Amino acid sequence: MRPSIPVALALLALALPAQAATTYPLSLDNCGVTIIVDQPPERVVAIKSSATELLLSLGLGDRIVGIGFQDGPLPADLAATGANLPVLSDKLPSQEVVLETEPDFIYGGWESNFAADGAGERPTLARFGIATYVAPAACRSVPPPPLSFEALFAEIAEMGAIFDVEEAASALVAEQRSMLEAIDRDDRGLTALWYSSGTKTPYVGAGTNAPAMILEALGLTNIYADIAEGWTSASWEAIVAADPDVIVLVDAAWNSADQKKRLLAESPITSQLDAVIHERYLVLPFPASEAGVRNVPAIVDMAAQLARLDSAE
Amino acid sequence: MKAGPGLASPGARNAGVHRLSLPALFLLLLLSTIAAVTFGPADITPQEVWSVILHHCGFLPDSPVSRLRDAIVWELRLPRVLTALGIGAGLALAGTVMQALTRNPLADPYLLGLSSGAAFGAVLFLLAGFALLMPLGAFLGSLGALAFALLIAQLLGGATPSRAILAGICISALASAATSYLIFWSATGDSYREILSWLMGSLSGSLWADAGLVGAALLLCAPIILVSGRALDAFAFGDNAAASLGIDVPRLRWILLGATALLTGIMVAIGGAIGFVGLVIPHAVRLATGSRHRVLLPHAMLAGAIFMLWTDTAARTLFDPRELPVGIITALIGAPVFLFVLLRYRRMT
Amino acid sequence: MSLEIANLSVGKAGKTILSDIGFTAPRGQVTGLIGPNGAGKSTLLAALLGLAPSSGHVRFEGQDLMAMTRRDRARLAAFVEQSANTEERLSVRDVVALGRTPFQSALASANGAEDQAVIAAALAETGMTAFAARRFDTLSGGEQQRVHIARALAQTPHLLLLDEPTSHLDISAQLQLLALLRRKAMAGTTVLLALHDLNLAARFCDHLVVLKAGTLAAEGAPARVLDPALLHHVYGVRARLLHDAFAGHSVIVYDEAIPETLPHNPD
Repeated sequence: MRPSIPVALALLALALPAQAATTYPLSLDNCGVTIIVDQPPERVVAIKSSATELLLSLGLGDRIVGIGFQDGPLPADLAATGANLPVLSDKLPSQEVVLETEPDFIYGGWESNFAADGAGERPTLARFGIATYVAPAACRSVPPPPLSFEALFAEIAEMGAIFDVEEAASALVAEQRSMLEAIDRDDRGLTALWYSSGTKTPYVGAGTNAPAMILEALGLTNIYADIAEGWTSASWEAIVAADPDVIVLVDAAWNSADQKKRLLAESPITSQLDAVIHERYLVLPFPASEAGVRNVPAIVDMAAQLARLDSAE
Repeated sequence: MKAGPGLASPGARNAGVHRLSLPALFLLLLLSTIAAVTFGPADITPQEVWSVILHHCGFLPDSPVSRLRDAIVWELRLPRVLTALGIGAGLALAGTVMQALTRNPLADPYLLGLSSGAAFGAVLFLLAGFALLMPLGAFLGSLGALAFALLIAQLLGGATPSRAILAGICISALASAATSYLIFWSATGDSYREILSWLMGSLSGSLWADAGLVGAALLLCAPIILVSGRALDAFAFGDNAAASLGIDVPRLRWILLGATALLTGIMVAIGGAIGFVGLVIPHAVRLATGSRHRVLLPHAMLAGAIFMLWTDTAARTLFDPRELPVGIITALIGAPVFLFVLLRYRRMT
Repeated sequence: MSLEIANLSVGKAGKTILSDIGFTAPRGQVTGLIGPNGAGKSTLLAALLGLAPSSGHVRFEGQDLMAMTRRDRARLAAFVEQSANTEERLSVRDVVALGRTPFQSALASANGAEDQAVIAAALAETGMTAFAARRFDTLSGGEQQRVHIARALAQTPHLLLLDEPTSHLDISAQLQLLALLRRKAMAGTTVLLALHDLNLAARFCDHLVVLKAGTLAAEGAPARVLDPALLHHVYGVRARLLHDAFAGHSVIVYDEAIPETLPHNPD
């Protein structure tokens, strides 16, 4: 994402003890579209867990008029504030359903959420006076640079600017930064496979998105780090040849970590892997596997899991 | 178009070659298998590969490589290579029979709703949570689609080839729509990928069980088809001509259709909807052997096996460390090959 | 041995196509099956081959033709259709070799010595020996028809059934074909062929069977059968017969068709 005025503003806001309020109208470049926010949005529709969780973390729960296509239950610390959010749809809501809530801002966790058969195309929504925002890490039409914590925090800050809650944003960023710093990065040069889904053809985390960022923060070497994509379909043979020390399992309701463990143990191919035999697994919930506020807590949790694995050896 | 008296048919011209061509093809198959199993993303030398195989066959006491490399060769590459051979042979055989039975050069094994039905069954099982039983779902789906297609053809007034084709088109459309509906309605982001890979046709993750199933299907169905070669020739001029030559047309058609459906159902269940093999291989082989099915069928089987072997080897090695669904490669190669075959046909008429 | 047909009826989907047909096609003679379109000629031939469900008796060489297995029947009787082409890439020899199918088992090796001899003889008889290696679909209509005849001959049939084999052929080809059939008949084969052209029937057939609307209208020698009254009754045309003393048979000369007595309006 190109550096923009609000990012500079946000960084400035972080540096100064007194927070500067946002000046409206605010103009941003988001995933190839210039959006204009005239005033702090009051009625927000959030699609995908990453969007909902970011808004809740900034204390904006009361402004959410609808959520859709969530990836799993909210984390414990947000469960209370997010308890009664109106659910528009379990899957991608249709345009009419979204418009019915009369939003002035739609936050999409995936760029594809803004399709004609989804929430609606961005230019159309703009004509209706609705600002639309795509999570920068998920932008496909204008590929962002590889995901980094700075980019993640910049998104938080940008949200803070849009909603005029810079204080909450910088507090959140500071909190996450200190959590990050407290992590004991593993220094043994272990290799890891990020196993997202797939049976015959595994779908794994590659080099440019949340999986890469998380593995790097943990001090693990991603065996698919060289592939310039967020995730990629892989080859079991290449994985077995690389013989990763640790396997990260993404736990989703539709494809649980336990199912994956069973699959790995039962397949004649993968059952020979060291990591499978010794059950060197790290588990994280699906919403935390995409760029969002849950990445850092997940890293903390996984670092603890990693430490427990070592002590068990 | 008329040609001069000097133009000989391909079959006649190569009549003497036939005695050699089948063993030659078989030798090529053997050599290809020996070579293909040494290709792969993992760094294992050909000698090591063959030592592993010999060890597992009982000829060598120890495996010369680590346990994991051993697994790569014996549990990953070899079953996959054998599965590819079997599926290629089966699809080519099925395609040749379909083209003869329906007297339609555009026929392929999936004609009677077999692949759309299989796709529906596979997706249904996957979304219902039985991902590992997808092959069973595919198989049941293909047989179900076939049964419906034949039923419709019967209701249209008797299962003649053209009615069966029409019914098959109808069932294919229905099954495809149902599959799309299922995918749209219940698929999450992850299963899209699995489904897409299956729909395009992929041999990734083929196990010994898959190779065994494919082999069993071939063992059961191929002999039935191969001995019908002479009878299939009689179909060249239509049902009446075939009947006047002493062929029990309905019975033969049902037997062959049944064998083909069973064969195709299993092939699709294991490998997904791999396209072009069943359509193009028969035509390509016909250019060399002519249309006498006694000769065409075994040649098509071997050619299909070799073709599938090499395309799958490309699918799993060209984009190391990633894999491509083999169906993409068969389409990429198949389309130009088909064009070439058509051009050769034109020049020969 | 003659082909003896009695009480032959053929129905399809509830409709009666042929009812109570009975006639004899004598051995060593060319029997012509004539009648307007839709009279049931093709159906009759199909029934004789067991291709249409029928009731009645059909005896040939003392055997019940309908009670035989398809294979046995194919060793006795051969069938040539109007015009049959194929998408398959077969050589002329391949097509003729198809005629040996009833004599070969699935597992036997390709055409043995006896088969080869029969095929060669069939090719020679039809004058197609020079064409043996040619691709079937490169031949002209007449040549293809001769190949079909050769295929039928390769079945070494005692009974030859042909369904309008002369349509789509040039006059010279028609004459050659019919002359060939006469030769086969004289050599002992029973020949029954459906014909469109009454003059050819008059010239080449020893015996005629006339069908009209699924029933037998007349049977006998052409001189007796082909008279203006029958032509009027069956075909709805006014015609005269001219006798060609040189050729020894009649030639039919047609006047206009009578509108009110077209075939679908029986007298």
